[in-house]
Amino acid sequence: MRWTGRVKFLFLLPAVIWVLAFTVFPLGYSLYLAFFNIETKTEITRERVPVLDDAGNPVLTSSGRPRTRSIVHKEQKSIATFIGFDNFERAFSDNQVISAVKVTAVFILTAVPAELILGFCLAVLFNRRLFGRAALRAIMILPIFATPIAVGYLFFTIFYEEGGPLGFTGIPFLSNPDWALASVVFVDVWQWTPFCFLVFLAALQSVPDELYEAAVVDGASGWDMLREVVLPILQPTVIIVLLLRVAEALKLFDVPFALTGGGPGVATQSYSFLSFRTGLRFFDLGYASAMAYLLLIFTMIVVTFFFRKLRDTYA
Amino acid sequence: MRELRVGRTKGDSLRYSIYSLIAICVALMFLFPIYWAFSTSLRNPLDTFTVSGIGIPWLNFEPTIDNWVTQIASPEARRALTNSTVIAVGASLVALVLGAPAAYALARFEFRIIGNKDITIWFLSQRVLPPVATIIPFYLVFRFLGLLDTELALILINATFILPFVVVILRQTFLDMPIELEEATLVDGGGYLTSFFHVVLPLAAPSIAATGLIIFAFAWNEFLFAITISSRDAITVPVHMAGAVDTRGVQFWFMGVRAMIAMIPPVLVALLAQRYIVRGLTLGAVKG
Repeated sequence: MRWTGRVKFLFLLPAVIWVLAFTVFPLGYSLYLAFFNIETKTEITRERVPVLDDAGNPVLTSSGRPRTRSIVHKEQKSIATFIGFDNFERAFSDNQVISAVKVTAVFILTAVPAELILGFCLAVLFNRRLFGRAALRAIMILPIFATPIAVGYLFFTIFYEEGGPLGFTGIPFLSNPDWALASVVFVDVWQWTPFCFLVFLAALQSVPDELYEAAVVDGASGWDMLREVVLPILQPTVIIVLLLRVAEALKLFDVPFALTGGGPGVATQSYSFLSFRTGLRFFDLGYASAMAYLLLIFTMIVVTFFFRKLRDTYA
Repeated sequence: MRELRVGRTKGDSLRYSIYSLIAICVALMFLFPIYWAFSTSLRNPLDTFTVSGIGIPWLNFEPTIDNWVTQIASPEARRALTNSTVIAVGASLVALVLGAPAAYALARFEFRIIGNKDITIWFLSQRVLPPVATIIPFYLVFRFLGLLDTELALILINATFILPFVVVILRQTFLDMPIELEEATLVDGGGYLTSFFHVVLPLAAPSIAATGLIIFAFAWNEFLFAITISSRDAITVPVHMAGAVDTRGVQFWFMGVRAMIAMIPPVLVALLAQRYIVRGLTLGAVKG
């Protein structure tokens, strides 16, 4: 960090302006929308116009008056009424919102810890000589990059209760509300455990062998080694993984969209899903903006909490 | 923990076998859903639910490529593939062109009013921003501009959401590069621009390419914006996929094909960029 030439602005500003234009502007606009009740109506008006002949003269009826025909105008009109904080108040007492918050909370509190713990165990397992380790590690990368919407439909075929490969268990994977949410969690765990695994493995491999050796010489047991050597070294990594997983989990949308359609009922309707539906399926734009804003504020609180710890990583 | 004792004992090789076996089983479990899509895609519609075992082609059923042929011949599927390619490539290029110089500025120059660290974290925070907070404004603005259902709109949006990635990952790459070569160029009378274009970019080419592959995969997989903006002309592969459930019920065999078509490009790309994945996914925070 030594150069100060003015050319630095030429390098940096295009990206900054782009991000400002495409995220800060929309966010400002949606904050504005959040204070309005927006009704979209189709307005139909009829207009009577005189019928003209080829020369442009009005055609007259037998009684001598100009002949007329009517034209139908259809117009989509959005009527915005300023309603202050009503949208926000409405969100706090809306049963759909409360259910979506619950779904998202249960999802995060089960999926994220499961991914971290499983990922860590797998990383410990893979942090040794294994047959075909490189190939096995490559297989583990596949779920992370598999298109989430495709993954959702894929598991739809797997959880299909009549004839799917798990049909023999007789478990109502998608038709029972609790099982449906568990299925969504399961899919997320399948997709993101490999992510935690890869990152933890990379962190474990960066631990110099001398540290383990020193611990063994000191007579440390496997458990001591984990607590005294591995976990302290892994701590910054755990924080980053946790942050990224929580932030992603708050966005949960694709998998329930494909796997359960938010159902049965609203059992797997995540917060993002509800906000999407409210805005772009029912076109209650103001209310949906307010809802999205509440999520944004919550995300910002969570992220700020983590960023205090993260800031040094990017020094 | 590893290879402490000199020479291998019987216990070591037994442990090696057991752990290897466990690792193989785990990997196969993670592979199974993808395998299942592949297997489903090769089945005759009548076989869909009647296959025995775990649906191994030839062993459990007679495979057919009819589903693939039908899908690939469908104009809609082809349009989706073309759109997804154009959008993901376009967005990646825009993000790289904007992001690489910004990353370089943050790695090598000093910003005083707002510090480098804070600018970097600001970029990073865009990545965790919930996209639902922006879909409604995007929808309204693009409707106003007459850009709904166009590839251009999706290129612009996707570029925005992958740009922070580029900035944060490449910043780390540039930081890791020795500064001496650039300084030598500057001493020889080349400007900052010469040194960036003729020294830094060629040296960082592998990292830039890997970053490009990873962001391509992200843009390819994106669904929420695609379903908001596109309806017919600009549908992407994931949106097309969502249309596999139609009034005739779920057509599992087509779903298998579509899932494979959707997943193959990002997964291949990820395997190509394997060495950079950990760094990419943790936004440069963990070096893999």
